[in-house]
Amino acid sequence: MVTVNLTINGKEYSGETEPRMLLVHFIRDVLKLKGTHIGCDTGHCGACTIQWDGKPVKSCQILAVQAQGANLKTVEGLEGPNGELSIEQESFREKFALQCGYCTSGFLMMTNYLIRNNEEMTREEIREKLHGNYCMCTGYQQIVDAVQDAQRKYFAQKK
Amino acid sequence: MYPTEFEYYRPKTLDEALELMKTVEEPKVIAGGQSLMPMLKLRFYEPACLIDLGAIPELKQVKLDEGGNLRIGAMVTHFEVIENGLIRENAPILASTAENIGDIQIRNRGTIGGSICEADPSADYPPTMFVLEASIVLLSKEGRRTVRIEDFIKGPYETDAREDEIAVEIIVPKSTDQYHVEKYARRKADFAVVSVAAIARTASDGSIEELRIAAGALTDGPERLKSLESALKGKKKDSVDLQTSISETVDALTPISDIHGGEEYRKYSLKMMLARVIKELIE
Ligand SMILES: Cc1cc2nc3c(=O)[nH]c(=O)nc-3n(C[C@H](O)[C@H](O)[C@H](O)COP(=O)(O)OP(=O)(O)OC[C@H]3O[C@@H](n4cnc5c(N)ncnc54)[C@H](O)[C@@H]3O)c2cc1C
Ligand code: FES
Ligand code: FES
Repeated sequence: MVTVNLTINGKEYSGETEPRMLLVHFIRDVLKLKGTHIGCDTGHCGACTIQWDGKPVKSCQILAVQAQGANLKTVEGLEGPNGELSIEQESFREKFALQCGYCTSGFLMMTNYLIRNNEEMTREEIREKLHGNYCMCTGYQQIVDAVQDAQRKYFAQKK
Repeated sequence: MYPTEFEYYRPKTLDEALELMKTVEEPKVIAGGQSLMPMLKLRFYEPACLIDLGAIPELKQVKLDEGGNLRIGAMVTHFEVIENGLIRENAPILASTAENIGDIQIRNRGTIGGSICEADPSADYPPTMFVLEASIVLLSKEGRRTVRIEDFIKGPYETDAREDEIAVEIIVPKSTDQYHVEKYARRKADFAVVSVAAIARTASDGSIEELRIAAGALTDGPERLKSLESALKGKKKDSVDLQTSISETVDALTPISDIHGGEEYRKYSLKMMLARVIKELIE
């Protein structure tokens, strides 16, 4: 067994793992942060998306031991200090951008990254940037609505 | 499925990594893991020892050498290839190629060295590396050697690297000629059904001074289309019979034939793509 020490959402965590354990399972089953989901396990669906040094990655395609000393952010890190919803979460709720919610934490972690690292995105650009995330329920229209809405809120907040 | 058990090593220097490659049993390098993780899960590989290159800073650098060549560390991610100022300036075709790979998340983890060492016949970098005439620098305890990309990729998933060797950098000669990379896939994150990379330079009198073209998604791995290049090079752009030259070249190729596209379909698409790409470049 190997001890992995890392930072998630600004907090330090430590856990024991076999070298072959996936990062997504380490986060969910060892550290008990259940917001990150696992869908396809092949790197396609994006349900397991987290941020590593602020950049989105798929945690089913990474070994937990590779994240030794890493600085990660998961969906649990979005909410405010008193549990208020983040702008991304608010937009997803207001625009009905989820049904079963299985894909949602992955989409939220992408949205959190995209709205901060792009000029105002068109619908087409949003679709193109989200093609590594699948949603089996919504048909994507409302997700695109929510991302646009979250970006507007983010820009307004920055002013 | 879960990977089989292995011992995990995370060397902090290249020397330490090379020592491990020589001494441990059945070593297997892991870079970004974006190709290897699926392979480990399928138990296509069952290595005894995994050597992680992720903590070695020397492998993450991009430099320009005295000869004007780019030297790109093997662990430079696809994301960094797109963003890096030196690469954008000295080999813009490479940055454009990286934009076609997978999705944002894959590009943040996957590396240029990992993609080339994987030698997937439908991967995006290889055709571009062929037209750039890039080389791979391999290092082991036995020494250093530099291998031309055409000799490095020996076939699908097969390279010239020995079991104890690590690819440390990719040497890319400066190229600021007109270029075009194109990939067709059913969905954007998929591997190519047909892909083409080309660079060209036309002289002031309208003749084609330089032309290099390579195709991917072929059964035996990427290929430089030399017969097409020589049929067009030196000719005036209005006097070439593009359709005939393209047909002759493509009919002699063997594209992959699978559920993503049969051979006939891929040949047809490749012809269309080549005609469009070349026309755009020489006009
Ligand atoms: C969903 C998905 C979509 C994708 N889409 C595309 C696509 O559209 N186009 C495309 O080109 N690729 C695509 N890929 C593959 C991706 O580009 C990989 O990042 C890349 O092929 C491998 O790079 P890596 O750093 O992840 O290498 P790894 O997966 O870590 O390694 C790959 C292989 O190379 C060996 N290796 C790695 N680095 C070295 C080294 N320095 N020296 C010696 N051996 C080494 C490893 O042992 C292994 O055998 C996709 C992958 C996924 C999961
Ligand atoms: S579970 Fe990781 S991409 Fe689907
Ligand atoms: S809301 Fe059900 S998969 Fe997206």
